[in-house]
Amino acid sequence: MASSDIGAVGDFASGQPQRVEVAGRALVVVRSGERFYALRDTCPHQGAPLSGGKVGGTSLPCLPGDEIGFGQEGELLTCPWHGWQFELATGRALVEPERFRVRAYPVRVVEGRVLVEMG
Amino acid sequence: MAETVVGQAAAMNNGHGSSLSLIDADVHNYPDSMDDLLPYLSKRWCDYVEQSGFAVPSVSLYPKVYAQAARRDAWPPSGKKPGSDPDFARRQLLDVWHIDCAVLNPLFAVANVRNIDLANVLQRAINEWTREYWLDADARWRGSIVVNTQDAAAAAAEIERLAQDRRFVQVLLLVRSSAPYGRREFRPIFRAAAEADLPVGIHFGGSGNPITASGWPSYYIEDHTGMTQAFEAQVISLVCEGVFEELPASRVALIEGGFAWLPALMWRLDKNYRGLRSEVPWLRRLPSEYILDHFRATTQPMEEPANPKHLLAILDMIGRDDFLMFATDYPHWDFDAPDRALPPVVKGDLKRRILVDNAAAFYGL
Repeated sequence: MASSDIGAVGDFASGQPQRVEVAGRALVVVRSGERFYALRDTCPHQGAPLSGGKVGGTSLPCLPGDEIGFGQEGELLTCPWHGWQFELATGRALVEPERFRVRAYPVRVVEGRVLVEMG
Repeated sequence: MAETVVGQAAAMNNGHGSSLSLIDADVHNYPDSMDDLLPYLSKRWCDYVEQSGFAVPSVSLYPKVYAQAARRDAWPPSGKKPGSDPDFARRQLLDVWHIDCAVLNPLFAVANVRNIDLANVLQRAINEWTREYWLDADARWRGSIVVNTQDAAAAAAEIERLAQDRRFVQVLLLVRSSAPYGRREFRPIFRAAAEADLPVGIHFGGSGNPITASGWPSYYIEDHTGMTQAFEAQVISLVCEGVFEELPASRVALIEGGFAWLPALMWRLDKNYRGLRSEVPWLRRLPSEYILDHFRATTQPMEEPANPKHLLAILDMIGRDDFLMFATDYPHWDFDAPDRALPPVVKGDLKRRILVDNAAAFYGL
């Protein structure tokens, strides 16, 4: 599997999606604390660049009238246009995950460098 | 296919097909604040607005989940609100997508301003602001005339005042009204529009009444999805009250209201007409015939069935390939991208009609 060095850990601010071009492919790279994620930078719905979206969490499933919890903080990327939410780790949409997903690429940190496995 | 009011306009305006390549039939421009409108208000009303702290009137009672209901990337670098910076909107929308013409619909809810004198001066102010701040800035923008539906005579006068400026291509109403627009108190607005050869655009929004006939729901998702009920009510009212018999030149665009519901409504209304015709004897044709002759609809928010071929089935049930006009709804969160909103099953001549020819004919572009 081919690794691409996309920069130093310090080049990425936590919670700020960043567009990176690797081998002609546009990726959105997200640092969430010490974890790194890389997804294709195109929403499967209408093609919006996900790098313009927001990293955050979402309301947790509950029953009507329950207090609505908030979770998955830092694990989701919300599309800047239509608000579709994707899991950073898998690229799967929260709604109909078996039908809609963004390609996710493994990311490793080696000696302070961020490496994306392009496959 | 039968020649219609809209079809006649097409023949007069540009014959077969347009030289344009993409028309956006629904874009939103907003004043960043009331300060933008003060140059168009008299000293008395500037003083009133400043002293009262009056803010730009909203078209919705529900928090819209996304700030200003906008795409996250639609906030201009200037810090102004989405849709308030003509230069940014030009670059992010018109230039990026190579849009030849875009119809501006300022969602400025003058009908919600209960001080009727203020509402009347605001309708003029917002229209003058659109004219100077947007239409003068780029020839690709087209305007919609905002009117105060609480005062139909004043609204008609505003239409007459602006009718000579052909950059204004329609009169804009909000779908959630104090009463259905077919009722006689609104007729002066439709008459003035027809006499000026301007269509009336009825757009998503407003807040005169609950969005459902069963009262107020709790959530924006219900408000947004249920808006089709209001569109249905307006279509039924305009047909049954005889607007199109009284004003044969009247044309109406249904903007941001969807269209998949239309076949079922036509079937139901035609069926009822057969048994209840005596109640509305001014109608001389089936209700569906008035609908197909006098109404058009914009695409956004595009109906997205799991099987895209079902879209073609709906269009087949509607029975007119000149019925839909493409729209993005920029800068809103449910923006439809011109290259992705129509599924691949919509292609060839039909796609071209939806993207450009239908709006070119309807608006005379």
